[in-house]
Amino acid sequence: METTFKVYRFDPENGSKPDFATYQVDLPDSATVMDGLRQIRDEQDPSLAFRASCERGSCGDCALRINKKGRLGCSLKIAKTVKNGVVTVEPIRNIPVLKDLVYDLEGFLWKKIKSVQPWITPREPEPEGEYVVAEEQLAEVRKAMSCVMCGLCDEGCAVIKIDKDFVGPAALTKAYRAVFDPRDGQHDERLTLVSEPGGVWDCTHCFEANGHCPLGLEPTDRLFEVRDEAIRQGIRSGTRNPKVQRHYDSFLNSVKRSGWLDEGRLAIESEGLTNVAGLAKLLPTVIRAIPKGKAPLPYFHHKRPGAEAIRRIIDKAQRSEV
Amino acid sequence: MKYAFYPGCVSRGACPELYPASVKVAETLGIEIEEVTDVGCTGAGVLSRDLSDPINARTLAKVEAMGLSSLMTICSTCQGVFTQANHRFKNEPEYRQKINDEYLAEEGLEYKGTVEVKHLLWVLMEDYGVENLKPYIKRKLTGLKVAPFYGCYIRRPTSIIAPKGLSGRKTYLEDLLDVLGAESVDSSGKSKCCGFPILTVNEENSMRMVSDHTGDAKTKGADCMVTPCPLCHLNLDANQPTAEKRAGTQIGMPIIHLPQLLGLAFGFDEKEMELQRHIVSTEAVSRQLEVSIRS
Ligand code: SF4
Ligand code: SF4
Ligand code: SF4
Ligand code: FES
Repeated sequence: METTFKVYRFDPENGSKPDFATYQVDLPDSATVMDGLRQIRDEQDPSLAFRASCERGSCGDCALRINKKGRLGCSLKIAKTVKNGVVTVEPIRNIPVLKDLVYDLEGFLWKKIKSVQPWITPREPEPEGEYVVAEEQLAEVRKAMSCVMCGLCDEGCAVIKIDKDFVGPAALTKAYRAVFDPRDGQHDERLTLVSEPGGVWDCTHCFEANGHCPLGLEPTDRLFEVRDEAIRQGIRSGTRNPKVQRHYDSFLNSVKRSGWLDEGRLAIESEGLTNVAGLAKLLPTVIRAIPKGKAPLPYFHHKRPGAEAIRRIIDKAQRSEV
Repeated sequence: MKYAFYPGCVSRGACPELYPASVKVAETLGIEIEEVTDVGCTGAGVLSRDLSDPINARTLAKVEAMGLSSLMTICSTCQGVFTQANHRFKNEPEYRQKINDEYLAEEGLEYKGTVEVKHLLWVLMEDYGVENLKPYIKRKLTGLKVAPFYGCYIRRPTSIIAPKGLSGRKTYLEDLLDVLGAESVDSSGKSKCCGFPILTVNEENSMRMVSDHTGDAKTKGADCMVTPCPLCHLNLDANQPTAEKRAGTQIGMPIIHLPQLLGLAFGFDEKEMELQRHIVSTEAVSRQLEVSIRS
């Protein structure tokens, strides 16, 4: 199959601006995008730089933006992605490019993955011999075990796009793997760690990441499970992220009290009743809203029918959490 | 077909214009709705699912007890939380049973897993039929440039919200705008997060999302944005002045609730749709509608 490859080229050493170069490749129908890149390098332009290692979708080295979507180059057939005879190949977004299709993962991914301490710290007392773990106990962990650390979920993340410091779905998927590992002895500490500012609570729950994982690991769902586990622990976020706890408690108490969310009180309580600066910050929004009849004032929030039943459910669910 | 109606709390709290607009639209179209009143908040994706799943199972059981099989929402967030919970209840009978036994039995309730939850947008496009709207359109929105803004939860996770066979859900707003005579403007925020869920935890990021989305709609020439989600509305409208200030720009992008836009097309005036309650002035929309009527 004859295909036109439009490939992102950038060499910081020759001082030129990034640009696309066009190449013609001719490969059998079964060929992958990576096969195409290799043919270009071997037969047309030896200066083309890209990364690949396993060539079978298990190392995550070849994550690229192919026809505007984050993909693993070695696992994507040209025939599947080609549009009007053209395949466009670029580095993934939101990342410093070193040369052509090679980018710097240090700050984008490795630093973040290390920050969640993704290694297992044995639970005490250590058994003699190996840990015996029942298959059912590992079922949850398996949902994240095959993560290849390609970073494509981070590439598609709505928050990372605007805030490079957000820890991101890839690292949180790793955190999940450790949090639910029955052999691990750092369960609570891990939940505290990911609850710090820039951690799991900075995620907007937009579910974007799910659509970007080439292995279908549903990183947003993994992250939700970490979050729910943190809630079961009572959100031990420490003092550096107190808003998280206040926001959650206020939301919960409002539903508990009346069956519904009390938006006015939520805004106030999340800032903290003694946090004068935080409360003052809310004022302009409230002042704009009052004449429009839009500011829901907490003291007008009525209990709904059914509130008693809701409260019973919450009490019971909370008891079974601990 | 009759629907149980779950208005959600925002349509009565911070977006009180949404509730009457939705009811007027349903009445106009002859869609029969009966509100479920004695139920709780969905948890909005904030509460842990350990807590919100039983609360939502209770709501769905109440719908069954009313003898109905469809629940209509008017909020992308309510819709998404319900759809995800309902997916678990329908596909994991043991889990459903556990919730029934532990939480619902004492009230004499049981959720059997028969309810479909549908946002008004889905009701119109899937049950009512977009063609059947045509006789009710009293003023075509010709010339009005509208940027659709879906809200995450009515789009994702795709495997549950818009699975194979229902992938058309990704363009319902555009399809609807087409029938109303308006022009869809494709802006970069269309299917993105509005930032509301992180408003308290990371206001800076949240406001950045607001200015990015409203700003891009403006750059693309939209007169307004339309959303099926009151939480998106809250962030994009009520917080737009804050976002503008942070970004150091003037945007002034009117944000219209989906039922309001339908109401305008069905001949209600701006007052009846309570556009005056919005924080960002909707005058540009009114002006364009004037032009459409005259021409
Ligand atoms: S759900 Fe959270 S982690 Fe995933 S893409 Fe959205 S903001 Fe990022
Ligand atoms: S979760 Fe998926 S997309 Fe994210 S790093 Fe792992 S394999 Fe890649
Ligand atoms: S999901 Fe949102 S609108 Fe719906 S009931 Fe809960 S807080 Fe209210
Ligand atoms: S080269 Fe290893 S995943 Fe593609």
